[in-house]
Amino acid sequence: MKPGLAALLILLFSIDGISQKSELNATGAVGNTEGTISLLYGMDWEVGKEKKIAIGWGARFTSYFGANQYYITAPAEITSGDTGPLVIFKENIEENIDTFLIKSPQVNSLNAFINLRYKFSEKIMIGFNIDVIGFSLGGSKNGNYINGYEGAMERATPTPFNLLLISDNDKGSLNSELYLKYYWNVRWGVKLGAQFLFTEYTTDTEVQQFPEPNDRFRNKSLMGALGVSFKL
Amino acid sequence: MKKIVGIFLLTCLFSCEVEENTPSKPIDDDFDASMATKLKMGTLVGIGGHTATGTATLYEEGGQKFVVLDPYESQNGPDLKVYLSKNVSASSYINLGPLKSVMGKQAYPVPGNPNINEYGYVHIWCEQYSVEFGRAQLQ
Repeated sequence: MKPGLAALLILLFSIDGISQKSELNATGAVGNTEGTISLLYGMDWEVGKEKKIAIGWGARFTSYFGANQYYITAPAEITSGDTGPLVIFKENIEENIDTFLIKSPQVNSLNAFINLRYKFSEKIMIGFNIDVIGFSLGGSKNGNYINGYEGAMERATPTPFNLLLISDNDKGSLNSELYLKYYWNVRWGVKLGAQFLFTEYTTDTEVQQFPEPNDRFRNKSLMGALGVSFKL
Repeated sequence: MKKIVGIFLLTCLFSCEVEENTPSKPIDDDFDASMATKLKMGTLVGIGGHTATGTATLYEEGGQKFVVLDPYESQNGPDLKVYLSKNVSASSYINLGPLKSVMGKQAYPVPGNPNINEYGYVHIWCEQYSVEFGRAQLQ
């Protein structure tokens, strides 16, 4: 084990050791003519002397539904001209980005996620979670591919495999939340926050041809989220 | 708890968009059909319960192709566009731009230099909601 990683683990799991907590969570999120329902099972390990910080992981099912949503070219090598770790700092190349308009997108994804939270007290905490890997299902949809004055009607299905990488290198449909949680008793809590969701469709043919053939289109949704939690 | 729900509902309310409709003031574009060559024409019909009437004609004038709607009248809607397409389902189309008005003579230059023999339909298309309002088969 590398010395840096060992030091970090010693710091996190110091003195009083760790304690595991698990919970179920149901969340609804609403944005601009779109929304999600997500169900989550997660386990957290409280670490450190005061056990204020927790890290964890779990599984999340997200069902996304929208109306008239604009998806844009997804692959980083087209949107940013780069796939390296610094792609997150690169400006989009606007002329490379085309649009795929879907009348009624609906994507269901099941992903493993990681979670990080900080506890202000036994009742109030703030946290962030993000999907890492999983798969998506959903029906085939008609869409309108728009490239300047040229266009085409094409069918598309949700990209089946989801993987968190860096920025536009991500693949598939991935959910994340920044939340504030309040427990009104020892088991039940309410969660309020922002949900940031990527959903992705793959067209039946490579409708985009410039600067290179492409069939993947992504929608980024920022939504207000409200949920309930139950400690197991 | 009530406050939290209230803030959530307010967020949802203010995320709704205001729709903008196509201009309804009658239009009379300055396009002299007598100076152009008529290539194809067709009669507009409403689609899916929408109303659209008139004639769509494809002209060539000085090497430039035009689609002219004259006469033209349709019901109003958001984000209406004029498409020139290769087939009835608009699986491959050229967007001629936003519909200028729901009433009156209007001319749309065809961008690029497409093989016009491949294009046989004019569509009035609500792009935002993916709904076809009207269509003409050009012959």
